[in-house]
Amino acid sequence: MPEYPQLVFAGTDGGAVLSLAEYEARGGLTALRKARAMEPDAVIAELEASGLRGRGGAFFPTGRKWAFVPKPDQLAKPHYLVVNADESEPGTFKDREIILRVPFRFLEGCLIAAHAISSQHVFVYIRGEYEREFEVLRDALDQLRRGGHLGGVTVVLHRGAGAYICGEETALLESLEGKRGQPRTKPPFPAVAGLYAAPTAVNNVESITTVTCVLELGGAEYAKLGTPGSSGTRVFSLSGNVANPGNYELPHGISLRELIYDVGGGVPGGRELKAVIPGGSSTPILTAADIDTPLDFDSLVQAGSSIGSAGVIVIDDRCCLVQLGIRVSQFYEHESCGKCTPCRVGTRWLTQILQKIEDGRASQADLDLLLSVCDRILGKCLCPLGDSDAIAVASYVAKFRDEFQAHVDLGRCPFGGVSSLEGILAPAALHGRHTHAPEVARA
Amino acid sequence: MSASSPAPELVTVTFDDRTVSVPRGTGLVEAAASAGIEIPVFCYEPRLGPPLGACRMCLVEIEGMPKLQAGCTLTVQEGMVVRTAATSAKAAEGQEATLEFILVNHPLDCPVCDKGGECPLQDLTFRYGPGRTRMSFSKLTLDKPIPVSPLIALDRERCILCYRCTRFSEEVAEDGLLVARNRGARTEIATFEDEPYRSPFSGNVIELCPVGALTSTLYRFEARPWEIQDVPTVCTACPVGCNVSATIREGKVKRILSRNHPEIDRGWLCDKGRFTYPHLRAEDRITAPLRRGRKGLEEVSWDEALDLAEALLREARGSIVTALSGSETTELAYALARLLRGGLDAHSALLPEATSSALDAFRLPLSAIASAELVVVLGDDPVVERAPIVDLWLKEARRRGAEVVVYSPSGTVPTPPGGGAAVCAELAAGRSALARRLRASERAVLVWSGPGGGGGARLAELAHALGFEDRPGCGAFHLPATPNGKGVALAWAAAADGEEVEVEHVKLLVVSGDDAAASPDVRALAERADAVLVVTMFHGLAGGWADLVLPATGALERDGTAMNLEGRVQRLRRAVPPPCPDELVWLSQLSARFGIDLPPHAAGVYAELAAHLFRDLPLEAIGLRAPLPARQPYEAPPPPAAVPAAPAPAPAADEHFVGELRLLRYRPLFSGPAVERVPELGFQRPPRELELAPRDAERRGIATGDPVLARSNGTSVELRARVNGRLVPGVARIADEHAGELHATIEVTALALRGAVREADE
Amino acid sequence: MNALAEEIRKLSGQYPERRSAILPALRLAQERHGGWLPPEALREVADALELTPAVCLSVASFYDQLHLEPPGRHLVEVCTNVSCALTGAQQVVEAFERELGTPAGTTSVDGAFTLGTVECLGGCGWATVVAIDNRHRLRVRAEDVPEIVEELRAGDA
Ligand SMILES: Cc1cc2nc3c(=O)[nH]c(=O)nc-3n(C[C@H](O)[C@H](O)[C@H](O)COP(=O)(O)O)c2cc1C
Ligand code: SF4
Ligand code: FES
Repeated sequence: MPEYPQLVFAGTDGGAVLSLAEYEARGGLTALRKARAMEPDAVIAELEASGLRGRGGAFFPTGRKWAFVPKPDQLAKPHYLVVNADESEPGTFKDREIILRVPFRFLEGCLIAAHAISSQHVFVYIRGEYEREFEVLRDALDQLRRGGHLGGVTVVLHRGAGAYICGEETALLESLEGKRGQPRTKPPFPAVAGLYAAPTAVNNVESITTVTCVLELGGAEYAKLGTPGSSGTRVFSLSGNVANPGNYELPHGISLRELIYDVGGGVPGGRELKAVIPGGSSTPILTAADIDTPLDFDSLVQAGSSIGSAGVIVIDDRCCLVQLGIRVSQFYEHESCGKCTPCRVGTRWLTQILQKIEDGRASQADLDLLLSVCDRILGKCLCPLGDSDAIAVASYVAKFRDEFQAHVDLGRCPFGGVSSLEGILAPAALHGRHTHAPEVARA
Repeated sequence: MSASSPAPELVTVTFDDRTVSVPRGTGLVEAAASAGIEIPVFCYEPRLGPPLGACRMCLVEIEGMPKLQAGCTLTVQEGMVVRTAATSAKAAEGQEATLEFILVNHPLDCPVCDKGGECPLQDLTFRYGPGRTRMSFSKLTLDKPIPVSPLIALDRERCILCYRCTRFSEEVAEDGLLVARNRGARTEIATFEDEPYRSPFSGNVIELCPVGALTSTLYRFEARPWEIQDVPTVCTACPVGCNVSATIREGKVKRILSRNHPEIDRGWLCDKGRFTYPHLRAEDRITAPLRRGRKGLEEVSWDEALDLAEALLREARGSIVTALSGSETTELAYALARLLRGGLDAHSALLPEATSSALDAFRLPLSAIASAELVVVLGDDPVVERAPIVDLWLKEARRRGAEVVVYSPSGTVPTPPGGGAAVCAELAAGRSALARRLRASERAVLVWSGPGGGGGARLAELAHALGFEDRPGCGAFHLPATPNGKGVALAWAAAADGEEVEVEHVKLLVVSGDDAAASPDVRALAERADAVLVVTMFHGLAGGWADLVLPATGALERDGTAMNLEGRVQRLRRAVPPPCPDELVWLSQLSARFGIDLPPHAAGVYAELAAHLFRDLPLEAIGLRAPLPARQPYEAPPPPAAVPAAPAPAPAADEHFVGELRLLRYRPLFSGPAVERVPELGFQRPPRELELAPRDAERRGIATGDPVLARSNGTSVELRARVNGRLVPGVARIADEHAGELHATIEVTALALRGAVREADE
Repeated sequence: MNALAEEIRKLSGQYPERRSAILPALRLAQERHGGWLPPEALREVADALELTPAVCLSVASFYDQLHLEPPGRHLVEVCTNVSCALTGAQQVVEAFERELGTPAGTTSVDGAFTLGTVECLGGCGWATVVAIDNRHRLRVRAEDVPEIVEELRAGDA
């Protein structure tokens, strides 16, 4: 496997750096000192120069986001930095490894970001299921505090309690304010009225960790890595039917083939590659034919998908795409916050229609209905969660129409009970097995 | 509200094919409406705080924006071009989609739904909805209908999760009792455990609900919308005078709805105003005259009754005392006065507490409270118990960032009972920082909530000392104990002139109305009277003491006017015919026998009294939403009869000393003859409870929930203790109806403890 | 109970607004009440944060990790989202169903185990991920299950 430049995971030799002394010995905290010697605007300029864009999924330029945060003299309220460590997008598990292996680089990034937006208060919203990760961060934070490196900034580790939607930035803020994690309408945007209606920057763990790297290298240097539109490295989460799953820090622009075959060791058990979900379950599916697509923002848009959270899910030829649709739709149904109508009702309806198709009870009209319901969800919801379900399911039909058609024509699943997803159970509170009619949710 | 606010800047927006100019910051929904174009909504309700954007009914297409937008969440921008379903296929598709999704789980049981015929969901489905359903799966089935309280039923299958009810609970009533639970498709409206939604304002969620999910248990299946008519009148359950309409079917009141007077109630009602109407059909309602006979009260004919009344009056001439209720119409009080004062020189009366006219100089609409920056509340009674809607205005003020300072026994500045007047004097003297802020503010409001204080006279003096006359944004309110005390007092005074003389030997006591009939003072006076004539609605209030009883009508059965706490003259309209003649009819007959000529109807009486009281303001001019009279020049009120005794110091902070506590009685909102006659309101009435401060509880070894004995020489009552961290030490607060005969200072002991001690002794 | 209230007040000190402490507070209350939130737990949190029990219920019922019914002594949660499912999560679920003698989504009759299937635990590359009492076991295969259950039973004995 070829050598790739390591920035986020630099200095770990594949392991973890959990002591501040060791981190500093390897040049840690130099970026923070450098940043604190600079004017906040100068830090933001470095970020703009680096071309760093958000790693949480929306790919929004990090420097520009910070530039939107009013200056203290423009808005007297306290300013907040909120770090999104809620990592819940299926296929994505990079932030977790970053926290476990380079907690100091991450926290250093937090302090740099706080300086850049003149914030004294950092909240790290970490998903409740990340027990160990929370402990590692808490310990690292203690070391920094004892070392007197916080510079008057308070850093609070706030644990979620199991709700995917709290990864959406405004839902996250609601949750952090002690409410149900339901997204807010925008405008106003968090940069102006976020946490407690005060100016707030919300950034992903990997974005923040990369901020440290950007300041170490300098923005211009960093921009040389990756592609013009998608600068720098990216921690790709590789999972599914692949020989060597895991997180790999690679420059933007390497191809799916390189990732899955050169790095990931290919599809095991002599199976055929059938499909790839390139950016977490919310992104449109690609087929084996797209295998040479470069993994950067623009190339994936061209290929009709999105880089999303860079969670690459490899799917071999044993998988029934209708079953995949059901399982993905079940996820969004289960995670819908219930605030807006199309998402709350539509995701459940999609699951039911897919179920009917899988059971062989569907007519041609049901297939049309499926796409029509996708269409009626799309672009009508309060936040992108509902859209994600519709986009994913519609893409399965678009790319594997024949397989859906076969279910209708044969009046049964063509995989005859041997699909790799056969009978897979979703969270029991909500669903029975595929082969049963969907159980009706009860209070 | 603030006079200093500059004229708003206008922006030009296009809806479909129409262009309008509206102030910057106007919501899209309102702006469209001003262009005569509808943007349909479900969850949007500006009174519930910032827009939610949940239901997606309001999707519109906006030029330059790729996606459909939730119109309710946006405000107008210069040059904006908005297309609704009328001209945008995309928007129409979006709205049809939303409705299809909403209907996916809706039971479509309109024929058996109370909302049927007046249901936004029904209407919008008809106008924007899909013709047929494409949903072939089992709908979500949920428990239905479940009681949210004895007053409200919830049908979860009909609920479209617009979150109006929960937002009302959290953002308006601020009670946090009605909430959404679970997530996603399983989200549902609920209370905690099976506790009832016990808020003085709970009924508003019924009107807010855009479907038939929240319905009134008193109204369910009572009427279909096409069989009813609505009569606009005003509520006289408290001095706020909310504007209401009474829904009538077959001569019976079926429900009370808000009629939204933006300056008074903003469309909210309290549950007392909304749910007490069934008292009109109470079992012990009196419909015919009664006289005392051998076997207690016996029905008599009207002729006999009027003969007897005439006889009693002639008999007692010169020694008659009249007790009036503050819930009378001004016309009824005036008519009574014309007969008794004009015809019989009976000038002495027990009048309800009346608001001091000195406050007319500081008049403001209640809505001004919401936009105030500084509010000071004084007095012993919780605002919600005297004038509930004022409590909502205060909450809104606080939400909008106003500083609200409450000087009361359980206020932000804990103040001993009766301490209000002293605070007024201090603030008037003006040394404190607060006094300085009051002087400087352009939007400051004073509120007096409680007895004493000269009916707001002390407050008026304070407002004057602060120079409020000259600041149109500053004002003062007195929250009187009765709905129309001022109107009644004015009418009584205006009807005739003649000196009030002290009557030692009361030959006849005339008691008019249920408040008077229920008042202990009046009962006490009756002990001294040879004869008692009572005009009341209920046997319960007549039995035992009356020699002659004449049936009274209820507020919903009357025409007339009442003056609310702002000093606004509002019009009551007869919603249903009374089961007995109107008071004014027999009063004019009775008056005729004394040569007094009285019109037998409110309009006529009003015409007379308007000349004395309201500068001949014609009845019609009052209209459906009464205007607020102009401020009057300040006239110094009469000084307090006696200098208010300085509030007694709370017992010394000595660990072992367990002193007596001052009894603080209050009249709960949910009390009185009407409330007592509506079983469904029972759960709203105050528990048999004694509130005391943590320190006083500790010293007596009392914890919340403990049974306690309250004693004052001679009498005692058993109650449950509630330790109230906000209550000033040295005080025990008990609702009037549970305080019995207790005196001003009481001893409070834990019952269990006392038992233990006794055992030890034996 | 009062100790809990004290700790909750400390927690709320970390935040500009008291209510922000509701999730940590509920988590704490759940630990104190044996892994779930009975009504009195919600009341305690409500009192400590000056909220109503209804508001606490509303928030608690939104989050999957806060339980409003009592779970077994051990909580076994198998991730069955796409990546785990593609590589045998269902076999792992069924292995647990066999070993624990209780179907997914239920608590064993002896009250020892609650077996659940859950959404993505964020360990897709280390499938199948199983959270046991909130600690993640990675790369769990069906054949590992008997041993795991063994170990848990041993720990109890
Ligand atoms: C349904 C949904 C779930 C999301 N989940 C996450 C998440 O788990 N982690 C994350 O960093 N961003 C998530 N996002 C994106 C955030 O809303 C936000 O864009 C991001 O945290 C911004 O940080 P960045 O600019 O550094 O990427 C999610 C968005 C949506 C709509
Ligand atoms: S009950 Fe009525 S008001 Fe409440 S959420 Fe449901 S539809 Fe809206
Ligand atoms: S009315 Fe706009 S989203 Fe409900």
